[in-house]
Amino acid sequence: MAKIIIDNQEVECQEGITVLQAASKAGWDVPHYCFHPGLSIAASCRLCLMEQKMPHPQTREMGWSPKLMPACQTPVRDGLEVRFASDKVKQNRANCLEFYLLDHPLDCPVCDQAGECHLQDYSQRFGNAESRMVDQKHVTPKKDIGPKTLLYTDRCVLCTRCVRFTQEISGTNELCLTNRGSKNEIDVFPGRPLDNPLQGNVVDLCPVGCLLDKSFLFKRRVWELKGTPSTCPGCAMGCSIRVDQADEHVYRLKPRYNPKVNDWWMCDEGRFGFEYVHDDKRIAAPVVRRGKDKTTPEWQDLPGILKTRFETHVREHEGASVAVVLSPFMACEEAWLLIRFIRDIAPSAVLVMGPVPVEGEDQQFPAGATGDAVKFTILKEKCPNKRGIEMLLEAAGGETLAFDAFVEKATAGEFSAGWVVGGYPKAWVEKPVGKAAAKFELLVAQDMFENEFTAAADIVLPACAWVERDGSFANHAGLIQPFARSIEPPAGAMRDGQYLFETAGFEGIYSGERVRELMAATIPAFNEVCEAPPVPAHTH
Amino acid sequence: MAKFEPILLKNRGVVNSTALKVYESRGGYQALRKALKMTPETITEEVKKANLRGRGGAGFPAGVKWGFLPKDRTRTLLCVNGDESEPPTFCNRVLMENDPHQLIEGTIISAFATQAQVAYIYLRVEFHEVFHIVQKAIDEAYAAGILGKNILGSDYSLDCYIHRGAGAYVCGEETGLIESIEGKRGQPRIKPPFPAIEGLFRLPTVVNNVETLSCVPHIIERGGDWFSSIGPEHSTGPKLFSISGPVKNPGCYEAAMDITMRDLLEREDMGGGMLPGKKLKGVLPGGISMGVLTADELDMKMDFADPAKYGLLGLGTAAAVVFDESTDIRAVLRNVARFYASESCGQCTQCREGTAWMNKMATRIESGAGRNEDLDILLETARNMGMMPGLSICGLPDGATFPIETIVKKYRGELEAAIAAQSAEAAEQILQTMN
Ligand SMILES: Cc1cc2nc3c(=O)[nH]c(=O)nc-3n(C[C@H](O)[C@H](O)[C@H](O)COP(=O)(O)O)c2cc1C
Ligand code: SF4
Ligand code: SF4
Ligand code: FES
Repeated sequence: MAKIIIDNQEVECQEGITVLQAASKAGWDVPHYCFHPGLSIAASCRLCLMEQKMPHPQTREMGWSPKLMPACQTPVRDGLEVRFASDKVKQNRANCLEFYLLDHPLDCPVCDQAGECHLQDYSQRFGNAESRMVDQKHVTPKKDIGPKTLLYTDRCVLCTRCVRFTQEISGTNELCLTNRGSKNEIDVFPGRPLDNPLQGNVVDLCPVGCLLDKSFLFKRRVWELKGTPSTCPGCAMGCSIRVDQADEHVYRLKPRYNPKVNDWWMCDEGRFGFEYVHDDKRIAAPVVRRGKDKTTPEWQDLPGILKTRFETHVREHEGASVAVVLSPFMACEEAWLLIRFIRDIAPSAVLVMGPVPVEGEDQQFPAGATGDAVKFTILKEKCPNKRGIEMLLEAAGGETLAFDAFVEKATAGEFSAGWVVGGYPKAWVEKPVGKAAAKFELLVAQDMFENEFTAAADIVLPACAWVERDGSFANHAGLIQPFARSIEPPAGAMRDGQYLFETAGFEGIYSGERVRELMAATIPAFNEVCEAPPVPAHTH
Repeated sequence: MAKFEPILLKNRGVVNSTALKVYESRGGYQALRKALKMTPETITEEVKKANLRGRGGAGFPAGVKWGFLPKDRTRTLLCVNGDESEPPTFCNRVLMENDPHQLIEGTIISAFATQAQVAYIYLRVEFHEVFHIVQKAIDEAYAAGILGKNILGSDYSLDCYIHRGAGAYVCGEETGLIESIEGKRGQPRIKPPFPAIEGLFRLPTVVNNVETLSCVPHIIERGGDWFSSIGPEHSTGPKLFSISGPVKNPGCYEAAMDITMRDLLEREDMGGGMLPGKKLKGVLPGGISMGVLTADELDMKMDFADPAKYGLLGLGTAAAVVFDESTDIRAVLRNVARFYASESCGQCTQCREGTAWMNKMATRIESGAGRNEDLDILLETARNMGMMPGLSICGLPDGATFPIETIVKKYRGELEAAIAAQSAEAAEQILQTMN
C-alpha cells in the first residue's frame, strides 16, 4: 500500500497503479479519454492533468510544480502530493473541452451515444457552455468500416482507444490514425474492414458516439434502457456482461469488468448472440398430450400434474426406468431442482449430460500469444454450464450416461420415462431421435424450440432464455457466476426455475440465491459465487 | 570587429570538400585517431568541459545528456538529428553539403564516447542532394576502415546508416524521430522513459543534432577549454547562424555567440543589411518557433540566454528570417499559424485543436474578416495550448505559441488597424463562406 495526498486528503492505494486510478477509486471524478486500464498508456488527451508537488530545482524545497502532469501516466508512490481542485487544473479541463467541441457537429439529438457520452458529461461537468469559434467547422466523413460497425469521424475525440485495442488486445491491427493535426482521422486500411471476433469492444471503448454498433443504431435512446448484471452463455468462459433492455426487449449486451474472467471485454459471438431470445417460434406455453388430445394446463396445476404423472408411472410400472437429460444451458439451481424432484420419486433415475456443443478450436487474442500475453480467449465449448452440470451429477451420484449412449439405450426401449431439457439457442438434436423419443411411455420435453423430443413428448414445457431466468453458471474453470433476470419470459411462459422449484416441492418465489443456499448445505462449492467487482463511479 | 576564423565551415569553398582525401589533407580524422586512444569517459569529460550545448534547439549540454545513459547497458544507439525542418533553417544542410566527413567524424567520436554500436543519421526526405553526399562519404569511410569493424585498427566498431524521413516537422523531435526510424507513425513518445534509458528499439539512445556532433572533433582536437573560451560563458563554441528574407547576402554564417541580431543582419561579412529600398519590419531570429523581434529589438544577443529578455522562447535554430515593411503582418501571422496546424501530429488535444483554431483565426484575419476579440482569443489560446508547461507531449505547441503570441503582442496596433480598416459587409461575407 502507498499513501498519497490528493487535494489535501490522504488516500491509501495499491502500489503500481496510476494516480488517476487511485483518485477514481477514492471517489474523485477525474475526466479522461485516452486512459483505459486494459490498454497501454497514451497520455495524449491531456484531460487528466493535475498539479504535483516537487522539490524546487535549486532549494529542494517542496512546492507545486508549474508543470501540469498527466494523472494517467504518473504512478503512485508513497508521499506523493497532487491536486485536482486548483484553478489551473480546472482551467485546463475547460480549455480542452472547448477544443474538443470546436469541430464537433453537436448532433446529440440524433446520436446513439447521447445519454452515455463522456463528451456531453464532461462538457457539462467541467466545460464551458459556449464555443467562441465563429469559423466554419472542419467536417470529416462518416465511414462504414466493417460489417457491424460505423465510424462517424466528426464526433471523434481521437483518444486512440480503438486503435490500441486492435493493436494490443485483438492483435488484428485493422484501425489506424491517418493524417496529421486536427485533420487526424481514425480509419481502416483499404480492403481490410474492421472484422475481428472482438471488434464490438471498440464501440464500448469509444467514449463518444463515433464508433457505432449497426445492430443498435437508432433503435433506442440509452436512457430508456435498463441494465441487469448477467453472465454470457455464449461459451464456457462466461464473460461478465450487462443486459440492456427496454419494454421487455433486449437491445444490447455489454461486457462488465471481471479480472477473473474477461477483464473488460467480450466477443462478438456472445455480444450479438441473443437474437433467438425474441424469435417468435419459441415455445411459449406448456402442453399436455393424451393421445391426440392436446391441452394447455394452467401453470398453477403443472407442478401437480408433473408430480402425479411421474409418481403414477413409477408406481404402476414394475421396473420403471427413468432418465433425465440435463442441458448445459440450464442454471445450476434449475438442474439441482430437477435432479431433486426426479431422484425423490425414482432414486435410481439415470442422469444424462446433454450434448455439449463444440465449434472449432479455442481462439486466443492477440493471435499467437501464449501465457500471460493472452488477453482474451473464446472457448470452443459453446455452452455456459457444462462444468456446473458435471458438479451436480457428481454430487448427486448414481448412474450417469453420456447423451449418445442415452439415445442408444432409449432407442432400444430401455427407458420408460424421461425428462429431456434442451434450451439451446440453436437446433441441438443432431441425430434423429424420433425412434428413441417414441419409446417413452412418459416423456417431458423442456425446450425453447420444437424438435423431435417436443413432438413426441407427453408434456412440453417452455424453456426460457437466460435473460428471462436467474441462477448461476459454472464456467470452464469452475467459477460459479450468477446471472440476474432481465426481462419477462414470452407471454404464456413461466421461468424454468419457478416451475421446477414448485415441482420439487418448494413453495413461494424461486430465486437463484435462495436455491443456492439450499444447495450449499450439501455442495459447499455453492457457498461462494464469483461476482464481478464494482467499478469506480467515474471511470469508463 | 576581428574576423572570426571559421571552424565548422572551414572547409566550405574548398574544392571537392566532400571528398575523404581532401578532408584528411586538411587535418580530418586526426581527432578520431586521438579519441580512439582516449577512454569514453575522458571524451565525455572534455565535451562537458567545453560546455557544448545542443544546437538542435533546446540547448541541452551534450556531455550531460551522454551521462544519462545507464551504466550497466550493453547496447547503445546514436541518432544524428538531420531533420532540420524548422522553417528558414538551413545550417545543418550547409554542414552536410560541404563537409559530410566532419559530421561522420563527430558521429564516430560521439558514438565511441557513448559506446554505441550503431549510428543512424536521420535526414528529412527533402534532402535529396544531402542524402547522396552523406551516403557517398559514409561509403568512402567504410572503404577506408573509418567505419565498420575495428575502426582505424582499434577495438571499436561502428555501423552507420542513413534513415530518410517522410516529410514531417514533428519527426525532428527526438522521440518522433525514434518512432519514425522504427517505421511507425511519426509522433513523439510520452516521457519517461527518456531515450537515454529506453529509446530507439527500446535501447539506450542518444539523439544529437548535426551541428552539435560536428563540433565534437574540434573539441577533441583542441580541447574543451579552447572551445569554452569562445563566446559568452553560457553559450560557448562556434555557432552557425543563417539569415534569409530581403537581405543583401542571405546565407549561413559562423560566429561566436556574442553577436547580436543586428550584426547578423547588417555586418558586411554576414547579411549585409536589407536589400535596397527595403525597410525591416521584423525578424524571426531563431527559426519561426522562438517568436518575433521588432525593428527596435535587433540588439538581442544571439545566445542561449538573451532571447528570453525579449519574450522569446530561446535561441532555437539561430536561423533568422527577415520581413520588410511591405509585408502585411497578418500574412506573417497566418503563415506561422498554418505551419503548426499542418505539422502538429495531433495526439495532444491542446496542440491538435489549438493550432487548428489559431490557423482558422489567422486565416480569417488575413482575409479581411478579423475581429479585435480574435486577437485576445489568439493570446488566450496560445496560453491554453502551449505556454503553460506540461500541457502536451512534446515541444511543438510551445514553438507554435511563441511566434503567435509575440506577433500579436508586438504588432497589435497594426493588426487592430487592419481590422478597423475592413469593410464590415465584406467581413461578414467572408465569415459566411470561409472554411
Ligand atoms: C517539434 C520539434 C521539432 C524539432 N526538430 C528538430 C530538428 O529538426 N532538428 C534537431 O536537431 N532537433 C529538433 N528538435 C529538438 C530535438 O527534440 C532534440 O532536442 C535535439 O535533436 C537534440 O539534439 P541536441 O541536444 O544536439 O540539440 C525538435 C524539437 C521539437 C519539439
Ligand atoms: S473512434 Fe472513439 S475510441 Fe476511437 S479514437 Fe475516436 S473517440 Fe476514441
Ligand atoms: S504536442 Fe503536438 S506535435 Fe507534440 S506530440 Fe502532442 S500533438 Fe503531437
Ligand atoms: S492524458 Fe491522462 S487520460 Fe488522457
